[in-house]
Amino acid sequence: MRSCGVFDETYEKDIAIVRTWRHWIVLIGFVALLFLLPLFFSYYFISLLNNIFITAIVVLGLQIVTGYCGQVSLGQAAFMAIGAFASGLFTTRLGLSFWLALPLSGISAGIIGLIGGAPSLRIKEFYLAMSTVAIHYVVIWVITHLSITGYTEGLVVPAPSIGDFVFDTEDRMYYVILMVTLLLTYFARNLVRSRVGRVLVAIRDNDLAAEVMGINLFHYKMLGFFISCFYAGIAGCLLAHWYQVVNAEQFTLNHALLYIGMIIVGGMGSVPGVFFGVIFFRLLDEFILVISPVLAREFTWMGMSPAASMGVMGFGLVLILFLLFEPRGIAHRWEIFKTSYRIYPYRN
Amino acid sequence: MMIDFFQYLSSGLLMGGMYAIIGVTIVLVYKSTHVASLAHGQILAFGAVFFYIFFGVLKWPLLASFSSALILGGILGFLINRLTMRRLIGEPLFTCFLMTFAVFMFLDGVFNLYVGGETRFIPAYLPEGTIDIGGVCIAKDRLGNFFISMLPIMILIVLFKYSKIGLRMRATAENHTLAQGSGIRVKKVFMLIWVVSSIMAAIGGIVCAGTINIHFPLPGIGLKGLVIALVGGLDSFAGAIVAGLMVGILESMGAGYIDPLIPGGGVNEVVAYVMLLIVLLVKPYGLLGLARIERI
Repeated sequence: MRSCGVFDETYEKDIAIVRTWRHWIVLIGFVALLFLLPLFFSYYFISLLNNIFITAIVVLGLQIVTGYCGQVSLGQAAFMAIGAFASGLFTTRLGLSFWLALPLSGISAGIIGLIGGAPSLRIKEFYLAMSTVAIHYVVIWVITHLSITGYTEGLVVPAPSIGDFVFDTEDRMYYVILMVTLLLTYFARNLVRSRVGRVLVAIRDNDLAAEVMGINLFHYKMLGFFISCFYAGIAGCLLAHWYQVVNAEQFTLNHALLYIGMIIVGGMGSVPGVFFGVIFFRLLDEFILVISPVLAREFTWMGMSPAASMGVMGFGLVLILFLLFEPRGIAHRWEIFKTSYRIYPYRN
Repeated sequence: MMIDFFQYLSSGLLMGGMYAIIGVTIVLVYKSTHVASLAHGQILAFGAVFFYIFFGVLKWPLLASFSSALILGGILGFLINRLTMRRLIGEPLFTCFLMTFAVFMFLDGVFNLYVGGETRFIPAYLPEGTIDIGGVCIAKDRLGNFFISMLPIMILIVLFKYSKIGLRMRATAENHTLAQGSGIRVKKVFMLIWVVSSIMAAIGGIVCAGTINIHFPLPGIGLKGLVIALVGGLDSFAGAIVAGLMVGILESMGAGYIDPLIPGGGVNEVVAYVMLLIVLLVKPYGLLGLARIERI
């Protein structure tokens, strides 16, 4: 809801991402702060942020295909694996530089995603979710059974470099990952306010009516899948070059289910919801890592390190509570909060 | 050659019985509540754990531990229904599916807390040894598992078709609103469905744990059961049985014939999923499922 005194006089103002000059100042200040973070914070915090940004990229792709287009895709982890292994092969076998391999791995994941998305035309909702799970298992099986991807041992990948400057520390990779994340977030936010975004939302709301209105369902569903797999491929490439080791164990079905949990908790169908969900779950993970030694000491029947199972339990519990009490996610609460201070002293 | 074929066929059929019971559980829940439940994979695992605790650790007699495990499994299903699924009765179906998925993750954590990385073995309660029919070896305990799986399925199908309770379940499956209007207590029917399906899942878990012992991939069988229910059609019992047997046979044939050709082997992990993709491309609602007619 607009604050008092802010009126939209033109169409551009109505669909603008940044609406007033005050918003611009806050945005520019925030981005500058993000660039200056490595100067103030520790190594561990920066690596946590790297993890958050890479996860945010893949969950942005998932938000576009599931939150905006309504096609539930549980295969994001597999497409991330395709991007990671493709980039690994491009840089080690073909000798391409990282900067060329980055978009190429996104495109290759996107093309394979088209093959995976092709069934989505005839298959609806729940059957589609399970067929993406099937695609996940088939892709992971193929990756672990090919010799060029190193069977189950995976590949070793070099760090990105410009000339002599090698990005091999957390701080340096932070800038690369931050730039890519900012670019892709802007692209996603722009996509959903454009004509293509409105088409995707129309397909989600009622695809028969959308077809009757003249929207080519096949074309736009394929586009949604391609974009989400492109994002997943780019995230996989960044992950590969950040860890410098690629392995099929990094991309399990649990990860794909975690991403779906993130968009539910964050809010389906909103780009800021992606960041809410990702940050919420990463902080939950850190919290459980901190308290699990304490719990292991107090309750010895839990075993040596209950962190893994406590993590999964916490995830499930949080998801249950959110589905019972706030199914529209944190983004919905954020909207209510923003409205409450914008139209003060009136109430919503 | 032919001996090999029949060997693979028979061992595949026996494995298939195990998959069939899990598939039938999921079809049972879907038919009445239109929710495809992921949580039954965990109920399966917990049923196996309860049986292990009663039979293996506490050394109770076989029948007592079996029925206690089933009762506890039913109570678990009742709790899941009461605490979570009931609140979501008016909500869109995708939310209910996500709720079952959240319950799956939560119970997965509890299961891993108990199991950790170890493997627990249920002591053998079925006769050992093999029966030799013209060169084909059939393991006696696998045969016993097959009958233990098929018997509840038969009882369930008879119950569903010929009893008053079954009539109420079928009416609720058709249309919740009309069933409520005819005087059927739909909430009670949902609870009954969850309890019955949890008992069947517990039986399935005990049978599976006899073959694949209790360790962390055990709940993954629930996911495979979901895949099998989809292949057969989510609203068809016969489809689930047929699909379960087919996947069992194809897995064992794949392991026998295709494995030596591919370096690394392990075809049987991926057969069920490839089958799902192929079947869904040809028949989007499963082999024997009813196609839904959509209107604007």
